[in-house]
Amino acid sequence: MLHGLLQFLSNHGIPQGLVIQATFYGIAGLTVLFAFLVVMSRDIFHSAVFLVLTLFGVACVYLYLDAEFLAGVQILIYIGAIMTLFIFAIMLTSDAKTRLARKIDLRIALSAGAALAIFAIFLKIIRLDAWQPQTLSPTPLGLTQIGKSLMTDFGLPFEVISLLSLAALVGAIVIGKVEKK
Amino acid sequence: MIPQSHFLIFSAALFAIGIFGVLTRKNAIGILMSIELILNAVNVNLITFNKFLGTPNGLGQIFALFVIAIAAASAVVGLALVIAIYRNAKSILVDKLNLMKW
Repeated sequence: MLHGLLQFLSNHGIPQGLVIQATFYGIAGLTVLFAFLVVMSRDIFHSAVFLVLTLFGVACVYLYLDAEFLAGVQILIYIGAIMTLFIFAIMLTSDAKTRLARKIDLRIALSAGAALAIFAIFLKIIRLDAWQPQTLSPTPLGLTQIGKSLMTDFGLPFEVISLLSLAALVGAIVIGKVEKK
Repeated sequence: MIPQSHFLIFSAALFAIGIFGVLTRKNAIGILMSIELILNAVNVNLITFNKFLGTPNGLGQIFALFVIAIAAASAVVGLALVIAIYRNAKSILVDKLNLMKW
């Protein structure tokens, strides 16, 4: 369907590359905006909703990087599972009426300064020549290749991750359960 | 096509916003959310380098998968801790949790 749409647009004088670039910058800008709203919105529930939108935007950016499988994993695990947990935790804990007034005080100003400094350092590093791509990857990585790598080269880390998930599951139950007195 | 540096700038912006959130949020759940933003920025970086440097066995994408798995585990344990703290202290605002401060 997407290819059909691109074909239709290129038939009407709009080149494909322009469409791809315009959609990427649109999605990236919206994602950064939503991420900012996650941090700035007063109501924690609004933050959760904006975080869902941000994660979806990041999943769309994965598509531009030839990582379709990771985009699917991002939507299933982050939006499907982790965000459900977050919303449950918000419902269980926060007294939703206490909205904090966020005045511009010294703490926020210092934090903004630190974040901007980190961003400036990153921009400086990104501009170094060392990071320029040497070769474009010959073929985009398919799901078959990822599966083979997971089972051969990365078999031990894969099993360790499953052990970690089990430990997290048991730990969450033990920490979260109500102790009887 | 889109150059590599633009993906890296996008990721750096997400990371900086996440750092700002960790430093300014008072709600413990808000801090956990900002940490998720930081982990996503790291994933975007890993997948960008995987595409533009062309590793043969997909090291970057698999590492991103592991990061997602560990993020899920840490979110589960972190939220369980938040709920346990709320049960004991009746608040999850981190500036009120100073029991172990002195």
